[in-house]
Amino acid sequence: MHDQLAAAALPKPAPGFFWNPFFQIFLAVILTAAAQILLKVGASGSATDHSAWSLLGVSELGDGWTWLGILAFVASFGSWLYALRFLPLGLAFSLTNGVHIFVPLGSWYFLHEHISLLRASGILLIIIGILFLAQSVAKAEEKV
Amino acid sequence: MSPTIWFLLVVSQLALVVGQIYLKRAMSRRELGEEKARGWMGILVAGIAAMTVWFLLWLGVMSRIDLSKLMPLEGISPLFIVLGATVFLHERLNWRGWAGVVLTCIGVLLVSAS
Repeated sequence: MHDQLAAAALPKPAPGFFWNPFFQIFLAVILTAAAQILLKVGASGSATDHSAWSLLGVSELGDGWTWLGILAFVASFGSWLYALRFLPLGLAFSLTNGVHIFVPLGSWYFLHEHISLLRASGILLIIIGILFLAQSVAKAEEKV
Repeated sequence: MSPTIWFLLVVSQLALVVGQIYLKRAMSRRELGEEKARGWMGILVAGIAAMTVWFLLWLGVMSRIDLSKLMPLEGISPLFIVLGATVFLHERLNWRGWAGVVLTCIGVLLVSAS
């Protein structure tokens, strides 16, 4: 049964830029980056609380930033589920590594943080990797 | 990092892989339409439950250690997902796909190491 599910042809997305599954992954990535930062702000508030609840992440729920972060996560989840309808999981998930391009670039642009040579080469590798991933989809579609 | 943190990290990664596989399975089944699609909501809920476990553990770990120490793990988690999708969803990547996965993982490791 599972073989049949995996073998089922992937459906075609609705026309238009917004409904492109790759754009939806991009949206999910941006929202996740925002969520991670908001959650870190929220989690820092409870760093001095060493109870079991805190270790399980429950006491962080008292913070407003945490809830904003959760909201961003829910929105990114919607985009992610949409993209999963059209793309294989392994490939789609690897594309989400794009978040590691935007966080350093955002820190450089907005916070004027320095980008070291090592970090710049990492960003370059991620970009090349994403191009390979995108190409692998294009080639797979050609064969269908 | 203490053994507790390591244990929580391993469980959180397992929950992530299981959760994502369930989400993909739910969305694939939904596309089958009508009779065959029955039960996709249940699979989706199971996936969301696993992702909730991942999320809470991740939040707990994040309040204990720096995000910069967690990021390398974030970088290699796609490898776990790709392996899980290969075994359980029978997904196949061509050589370009594998090259992309490996390059992005190394890139993330470099970004987080600097």
